Amino acid sequence: MQILARQINVLDYALSSLWRRRMKNLSVLLVFTAVIFLVASFQMTTGALTRTAERVLENAPQITLQRMSAGRQVDIPPEYAARLSSIYGISRIVPRVWGYYFDEVTGANLTVMGLATDRMPMGDQLHLALASGSFPGPGSRGSVVLGRAVNDMVQARGSHLLSLFRNDLSMASFEISGVFADATDILTRDLVVMNIDDARDLFRIRGDRATDLCVYVTNPNEINTIARKIADLLPDTRVVTRPQILKTYRVVFGWRSGFGSICLLTALTAFIILAWDKASGLSQEEKREIAILKVLGWQTADILAVRFWESLLVSGISFLVGVTLAFIHVAFFDAALFRPIMVGWSVIFPPFHLVPEMTAQVVLLIFCLSVLPYLAATVIPAWHTASVPADSALSGA
Amino acid sequence: MIIECRNLKKTYVADGQAVTAVDDVNLSIAAGDFAIILGHSGSGKTTLLSMIGGLTTPDSGEVLVNGIENWHQSDARLTEMRNQTIGFIFQFASLIPTLTALENILLPLSFGNRKAASSRQARDILAQVGLKDRENAFPAQLSGGQQRRIAIARAFINQPAIILADEPTGDLDEDTEQEILAVFHEYHRQGTTFVVVTHNVHLADSQESPRILHMRKGVLSEENPARTRAA
Ligand SMILES: Nc1ncnc2c1ncn2[C@@H]1O[C@H](COP(=O)(O)OP(=O)(O)OP(=O)(O)O)[C@@H](O)[C@H]1O
Ligand SMILES: [Mg+2]
Repeated sequence: MQILARQINVLDYALSSLWRRRMKNLSVLLVFTAVIFLVASFQMTTGALTRTAERVLENAPQITLQRMSAGRQVDIPPEYAARLSSIYGISRIVPRVWGYYFDEVTGANLTVMGLATDRMPMGDQLHLALASGSFPGPGSRGSVVLGRAVNDMVQARGSHLLSLFRNDLSMASFEISGVFADATDILTRDLVVMNIDDARDLFRIRGDRATDLCVYVTNPNEINTIARKIADLLPDTRVVTRPQILKTYRVVFGWRSGFGSICLLTALTAFIILAWDKASGLSQEEKREIAILKVLGWQTADILAVRFWESLLVSGISFLVGVTLAFIHVAFFDAALFRPIMVGWSVIFPPFHLVPEMTAQVVLLIFCLSVLPYLAATVIPAWHTASVPADSALSGA
Repeated sequence: MIIECRNLKKTYVADGQAVTAVDDVNLSIAAGDFAIILGHSGSGKTTLLSMIGGLTTPDSGEVLVNGIENWHQSDARLTEMRNQTIGFIFQFASLIPTLTALENILLPLSFGNRKAASSRQARDILAQVGLKDRENAFPAQLSGGQQRRIAIARAFINQPAIILADEPTGDLDEDTEQEILAVFHEYHRQGTTFVVVTHNVHLADSQESPRILHMRKGVLSEENPARTRAA
């Protein structure tokens, strides 16, 4: 009880002390909140991008095969799949048709993908990526699953059908059977998924041909070996493996660059705090106050406890407000402040919606790199001052 | 003896010049004494008080308060002694400018025993020094003499056994000075020990049988040494 009452008194004094220097403390609070907001926003954005990409790619085929002719991609005939059957370790080969569709009315570029869902492993689980509806069943023609942006576009027209033109300008209309979830936005925003035969019809591809072959292997450790064998067997194909794609993603915005930037930002933060503290240090007034308290018989521990609570309140509030604002910034404003920095990404991806990643580790990391250094930077100088003899207070210095 | 100084010595070095502020001082003060230290500016009075209060470390010699040597104990114990046993009245303004008069007076109370009763006690002392209606004023809103009186009130809040006062009546007019001296007189009558540095001749007259000490270039001497031994 004694200890509790004591801490309450210390806290009370710390609060009034904060209030007494409210102008200075308010400015520290603002700067500190801004720094934490930036670091947390950045961390959540890169976290969201990496996680989204990895989650989506988990369902990507382990090996993708495209046929190249004169540097251009061309259709793959069914014999290619047959020739791969001699390679041991391949569990399944699924054809896929995809291409870009330019919508003259809106000027939008859509990505059209034709899938044979019934032949894909875990094809029955694809609906997990949807916010509503379902994938067109096997053999069911004339319906599509849309990315959020495409769906918005169709809804804006007041229509329930997506109408696309074939090369000969005849029109194909599709019913909307489902919409992708926000979490997959980064990859599905402009996507139109349909039955593979519908896609062949739209792009005028011959009935048994595909644009890619998706190869699934039995043992994931053999992906690279099998990819090499495919490349040897079919020299006119380009073979892309999932680990390669994953690596590319990571280099673009993944944890490596994210982690690097965090380190940089953190160093910057520490520098700002330390520089600021050096510049302001303990003011003459604060030193005098500490000296007076020492003379009046305040224990060094009490002086430091007050200082500790002051710093904890300032940095703790900054931390909470900064992290909360960062979450709002990323979740509701799609990290709008980072758009200029993300130019490199938006070349690769259309504008997308972000679902922020706020894991305990991230929050803990930001806490350790913000609140703790601030406590050290404020309590240690006070400790130095409080530990030296206080006679300067007597001589009116 | 409540205060005992033995061969106390303190030398400052400033700009390559050594100044012996306190030179081999021996002093014994009994509980209930009222000691007045007179001396020219720079003669070492503040330095001596500061060593008695355990704020300045002597170069050699020792200071015993209630029989315990100041520097033979931990900083925490020394601080506790200062808090419980000694009330300090500084030579210069020593209020915290961002605290009100009442809050300044409450400062010496440790966090452990701050109670509503303390505020009442603080208001009583405030009344004694004639500033009953100014408890919520900030130092900047008070005159130099009023600030001085707040600092005096603060020295008494813990009801210390010893008051160390450095020019306590320095900037007070005669009427206020009389009020403060009356307060001193009252506490002295109740048994508080005083060591007061002053130029003020009234001070010696106002108290019953004070001990008069002179400080000259760091050397202390007593006006009537016979009485020191008698005490
Ligand atoms: N921190 C210090 N550093 C260097 N010299 C000091 C320091 N404190 C005091 N002195 C010197 O020690 C001597 C005694 O100083 P002290 O303050 O004790 O004098 P004083 O008797 O209180 O004078 P006054 O009546 O003016 O207050 C002076 O010469 C002063 O310059
Ligand atoms: Mg002095």
